[in-house]
Amino acid sequence: MSANSLLFSINNEGKVYALSTNGSCWREFMYLGLEFKALSAVPHFLWAVGGDRQIYLHVHGLEIPIRVKEESYENERWLPMEGFSGRLLPTDRYHFSSQDGTKDRSIDHIRLPSMAWQWEGPWQLELTLDGQPLDHDGWTYAVDFPAQFGPAKQWKSCVRRRKWIRYRKFSAMNSWCAIAPLHKDPTQEPFIDISIGGNQMPYASPGTLVVWAITAQGRVMNRTGVSTTSPEGLKWINISIPPNCDIKQISVGPTGLVWGLLWTGRTIVRKGVTKDCPTGDSWLEVKPPQDTKLICISVGYNVVWAVSSDSRVWFRKGVEGNNSGTSESAAMGNGWLEITGNMIHVSVGINDQVFAIGEFDKCIYWRCGITAAELTGKKWKKIQANMQLSRTSSSASVVSSSSNTKHHSLTTLSETEPEKKTNLHLRNSWEESHSAPIEHTLPVKPQRQSRPRSQINTEKIDLTGKSYETTLKNPRAWSPVRSVGSVVGMEAQPDSDSSVFDVDSGMLFDDEISQTAWGSCETTWSYVEAGACLVDTVQIPHWFTDSHKVQNSDITAGWRIQILDYLRNRNKNQSLDFSDYGIAVEDKGWTRSCEARLVQANNSTEECIISLYWFDLENTGTLSVFQPDGTIKFILNLEELTSLTSVFVSSEPGCPRIVLAVPRQTECSIKIQFMTEFEQEEWLKMLIDIISQINGVTGKPSANSVWAITNAGDILNWDPLPAKLSNKKDGMYKKEFPVFGKNILSGYSTSLHNNFPPGSILKIVGCLFDEVQRFYIDFTGPEVKKQRHKIETEVSEIPFHFNVRFDEKIVVCNTKIFGSWGTEERHELPLAVGQEFNIEIYCHAQAFSVIINNKSYCIYEHRLNPESITSVTIQGPLKLYSMEYCTTSVIIGADEMFWRLMGGHLRRVECCEADVVWGISHDHRAWVYTGGWGGGMFQGISSNTGIHAMTDTHTYCVYENQRWNPLTGYTSAGLPTDRYMWSDITGKHKRTREHTKLLNRHWHWISEWMIDYNTPGGVDNDGWQYATDFPAPYHGKKLFTDCVRRRRWYRKAQINTEGPWIRAGNTALLDISLWAKGDEVSVWAVTVPGDAIYRTGVTPSTPTGNHWEHIDSPQLLMAISTCNNVVWTIGRKGELYHREGISVENPGGTTWKLIEPPKSNLYSHKTTGAKVISLATTVAWVVMSNGAVAVRTQISKEQPGGKEWRYITDSEISFKHISSVHKDVWGVSTDGTLQRRLGVTADNPAGSSWQRVLTGAAVYTSARGGSLC
Amino acid sequence: MANDREVLREIWDGKLPICFHLAQEEIMEIQQPDPFYVMVPRLSYFPLVIDKMKRHFLRFISQENSDSEMWLDFNGQPLKWHYPIGFLYDLYCGNDPQLPWTLTVHFTKFPEDILLHCPNKDVVEAHYMSTVKEADVLKHRGQVMSTMQKKDHNQLWLGLQNDKFDQFWAINRRLMESHGDNDGFKHIPLRIYTDDGVYNQRLVCPKNTDNSRKTLQQMISELYPEKSNVNLRTHGVIIPPETPLQWLSEHLSYPDNFLHLCLC
Repeated sequence: MSANSLLFSINNEGKVYALSTNGSCWREFMYLGLEFKALSAVPHFLWAVGGDRQIYLHVHGLEIPIRVKEESYENERWLPMEGFSGRLLPTDRYHFSSQDGTKDRSIDHIRLPSMAWQWEGPWQLELTLDGQPLDHDGWTYAVDFPAQFGPAKQWKSCVRRRKWIRYRKFSAMNSWCAIAPLHKDPTQEPFIDISIGGNQMPYASPGTLVVWAITAQGRVMNRTGVSTTSPEGLKWINISIPPNCDIKQISVGPTGLVWGLLWTGRTIVRKGVTKDCPTGDSWLEVKPPQDTKLICISVGYNVVWAVSSDSRVWFRKGVEGNNSGTSESAAMGNGWLEITGNMIHVSVGINDQVFAIGEFDKCIYWRCGITAAELTGKKWKKIQANMQLSRTSSSASVVSSSSNTKHHSLTTLSETEPEKKTNLHLRNSWEESHSAPIEHTLPVKPQRQSRPRSQINTEKIDLTGKSYETTLKNPRAWSPVRSVGSVVGMEAQPDSDSSVFDVDSGMLFDDEISQTAWGSCETTWSYVEAGACLVDTVQIPHWFTDSHKVQNSDITAGWRIQILDYLRNRNKNQSLDFSDYGIAVEDKGWTRSCEARLVQANNSTEECIISLYWFDLENTGTLSVFQPDGTIKFILNLEELTSLTSVFVSSEPGCPRIVLAVPRQTECSIKIQFMTEFEQEEWLKMLIDIISQINGVTGKPSANSVWAITNAGDILNWDPLPAKLSNKKDGMYKKEFPVFGKNILSGYSTSLHNNFPPGSILKIVGCLFDEVQRFYIDFTGPEVKKQRHKIETEVSEIPFHFNVRFDEKIVVCNTKIFGSWGTEERHELPLAVGQEFNIEIYCHAQAFSVIINNKSYCIYEHRLNPESITSVTIQGPLKLYSMEYCTTSVIIGADEMFWRLMGGHLRRVECCEADVVWGISHDHRAWVYTGGWGGGMFQGISSNTGIHAMTDTHTYCVYENQRWNPLTGYTSAGLPTDRYMWSDITGKHKRTREHTKLLNRHWHWISEWMIDYNTPGGVDNDGWQYATDFPAPYHGKKLFTDCVRRRRWYRKAQINTEGPWIRAGNTALLDISLWAKGDEVSVWAVTVPGDAIYRTGVTPSTPTGNHWEHIDSPQLLMAISTCNNVVWTIGRKGELYHREGISVENPGGTTWKLIEPPKSNLYSHKTTGAKVISLATTVAWVVMSNGAVAVRTQISKEQPGGKEWRYITDSEISFKHISSVHKDVWGVSTDGTLQRRLGVTADNPAGSSWQRVLTGAAVYTSARGGSLC
Repeated sequence: MANDREVLREIWDGKLPICFHLAQEEIMEIQQPDPFYVMVPRLSYFPLVIDKMKRHFLRFISQENSDSEMWLDFNGQPLKWHYPIGFLYDLYCGNDPQLPWTLTVHFTKFPEDILLHCPNKDVVEAHYMSTVKEADVLKHRGQVMSTMQKKDHNQLWLGLQNDKFDQFWAINRRLMESHGDNDGFKHIPLRIYTDDGVYNQRLVCPKNTDNSRKTLQQMISELYPEKSNVNLRTHGVIIPPETPLQWLSEHLSYPDNFLHLCLC
């Protein structure tokens, strides 16, 4: 499912309409009171020439405000007598300067660039340095200016500086914003055309945009400084054109390539447009097709389309966007090709999709069948979308409210009855987006959340009503606009405007009403602009009569229901019983085998034959592995398989493998390598299908599921619900341990997955040997470290030791605390040797009670908390028949967890207890789980509902390293000790461009190898970064001491797959966290630029929510977690913050507060940065940058920062991810093993030990569904 | 795309109760053989489902006939094995359903002029595959079948033979996809039979000239302009006339990819 994007057009009245790719109705784009002549758009930025021939800009659909951080460093020098003061030496930098001191940055001279900007607050001091808190004045000290600044003042500190920061925000969002005219009198040189592009300019930094315009005097103007963070740019500069060229139209492609159209019908092309010179250097002429004059051109990525005066359509061959700046032929193309159809206007959109306006019917057509391989497409398809009646025409005024009908505007009252009804129904979709040109409106965010609901309606209506009247009284009072960036029209509620940006609600209206409200497409169009329109050619929008919409309605069509009904009742008409009839086709299991290779632990492979047997009636299956000569190697019972993933070992793509985890048989997983990818996919699909049937899991998993992601991007899910249901009995959960035949003499030990809290029972049935002298049952707790004689030993706590001694004819009960036994409690011997016995041990709130042979035997009071018991050990000369463990919560061992592949491709997945699951793909887009299962290569085995097309993008990087030598300069001949000359970022692995392969056949390259000019640290003009030696800090400017250099090459690959996921919002995300209380789900996320945001309106029924609310944060963030209205984040330098003042009324909170950083481990005094955070109800689990895990305890609403740090000391495992909620704590260790924390209790929030759940290739997990609740 | 699994499954699971009698003149024993009762998949072919029945009756017939080809009749009408069983039932008993369907088993007097010989199941497979190919030529100009591998063809056949829905549909879904711009099939493979078993096969497009979906009713009025009240039956049900042809073909075709419709 692609994200929502918009196709813009102007009708013959000059009104702008937008058609959303997720919708099916044209909606009028905010009406300004003036008509528009021309439009040009890239996603979120729409430039237009108004009827007054001035340029207007509309920024829309951005979920995150545009914010720019202004910084200024205040410098002071220590002078004897005065101490530190702003009086600096003449050679020093300015008192207020930029970071390097070269620019004067006096804070009173830093002004807003235009009226479209607002300050977010006053100037503030930055009080941290690299994550370390500074004192309240924020000063940092150094010996002299160009030096390392530190937080502490020393005797040698002669200078100090502090950093002031202030954010400014682009406030003209969702409104038309006038761009200053060229002269004081705007009528002196009006504009006739505008074009924006350059958003995909090769090698340019992200956010680059290019705007070109033409004035009525024929001058070509380029707008400098336009980018996504500076939407209006700085100023117009004139670009000269060759003499005798009278230019009429201009078009900029996404690569920045510029074509101009002359009145004579000829075209000129700008040569040399590159990232360093976005205006190009000279014009070239391109001849029009023979005997024709062109009247309209549009530049795409690899195409130029044109329309000639005889309304023929032309396609320019041979244009290559990537090389258009360096090669003349790539910019000019090499010939015109006529395309069938008669059009009067053409516009090229994203992915070179083409839209045009027909000559005769003035309808908009889409060229279908355009792919990268076939840029000319197949045929024109007419867009047939309904039309929203003009909001500004008197027949459909909509200032009305169903909750308070008195507020109808005058125009509504004069309307006929059915139309009024229409208005009432449409209110929800229209009222909020009601637009009115207001002169002095500033984007005041509606205080909706903080007000009681009853007031909202009246408030809102007043607002819209008033503004509406303003228009009527004084429609032209605001125009024309004289100053830069004036906000000329505002949406009444910019943040919640649902007009054109949401999926239209057309389907919610019943037929009768939609007839009156939505006119059919009778409009004649005069202009179409597709620059912001992303059409998914696989799932085309519902714009065409024969689209999917019709077919989806088949499910509810009367004839289908009738057919199904007939079919079901076919044999029921006769009152005969056919149950004793034989079955004609003998049902047998089926087998399938193929040759494959078994991968050994040391990565060598050996030939084998694998054979699958499956009998669906009995629900049994086996997978046998034979040696090539036919002898059996091993046979797996498919019921024992717990996970199945396709794993492609990254060092060698093209080795299609399946990895099977069989924890009941072996520790490590079984890897099978297939000959071809097709075979591997077929087997994977087959096995998944069978194993899901055996385990009885189909469809949507329960909300308590645990989710995980493998390094291949596969999504795994374990649903505890089937196990919960199957081992539940009388409100208790029961597990039998397979003890029969086990050797008890040397001790049998098993872990108790849920510990042994009050309410738990252990039942043992067995038989004593004749020669028995002693046997014991130990309830063992966690291991503690004990120091004795300076030697550290690990000892286990034993909260309950039950020792039956036949030699002493006594039973001893005791507790071992910290390695030493307490006072013994002795009881009479209840058993005789050689006898069968049955022992039940109950845990009560105060004590254990022991029942032997159904008679109450003894009571043993708790000396240690029984919740700390994690395992039980039985040792002695006896035979066990059965051992049963019952507790109040569900017991599931790792060997019983079946991990199911869900379909799709993601990098992260987060769940919560309310059945809402979000994911983030590698290209940082957000996805929401739809409840389906399957898609992609699992087509046909699973549900069909909720499966959508999905794409994801990987960027592959290789580094080119060079060393300088005095004779030849920089060459790729390094020293013998050097790293590989083509390597990965560490230099330890050889990586070349030629040997980089795609993971499997579902991936394809979407770019060539390109030099990355945006490598962190800065680069020179050829992309090189310099350093004194390898591994050293790299910088972009070559210095005298530099001996080595490197540059980064990247290439992008894309996967096309399907999965049960749907896009949510357009904002690119880095991290996300969900927490649910009842039906309210709070969703917090960190954007790629590092802002914190939260999603409004997320509930289990509307998992995608409404929109993002932005939270200002002084620092850039990288991770976030929320629980119980507490929010913690991690800054880019590893520092931890929590959000103050979050409540139901104020879900955004008030301020960020720094949290005391954790130490790198228990014994160190150095603090470390955090990299992953997961908040549970009262604790926070933090993975630090060294992989160690720390736990912050006693977090509450009153104390959201927690109280103290605890460190995990029982194991040396280092982690890359962790996820926790309540008592569930799951982690992914650095080697990719999924681990579960045992022994987490209220008293011991850090738990007692890690349990290995799934060996393999996990990279991410989310257990926030509370699997054990 | 055939994506309505609910309907597909219902069609696949359609079964007919059949009662086989041995023809009186075949019985060579004093003891009368018991009739043989069996549930038969509607989508299958008789040669695929009568092995057990044949074994049941073999000991009652004369030894010299035991190797000769068996054939079936209903009310004296020999049944053509190369039609799906469900269709044969609809053809002969559609208007007057009687369950179980009582059929007579013969081992002699093979009606050479009516029936084709069927020495083994390979013949059925060959016939089946050729029908699928013919249907694919109508739907996609034969492009799908020709790109399939031999093992795909095998899977299709084995799925049908062993009554394995998933095995069969894993391949058959490719045959039911529309190519190009989702315009549906080129033509709908369908045969309309009159009571006497004579069929009428015409080129039928799934779309009307204005590009809208053609319904069954529209096709009927094109094919039978003179008749007013025409009903069509398949899989034991009368098809509602407003059903779109494309959908019908995707979901209600027999495994040979043809719609076998009976006039009634």
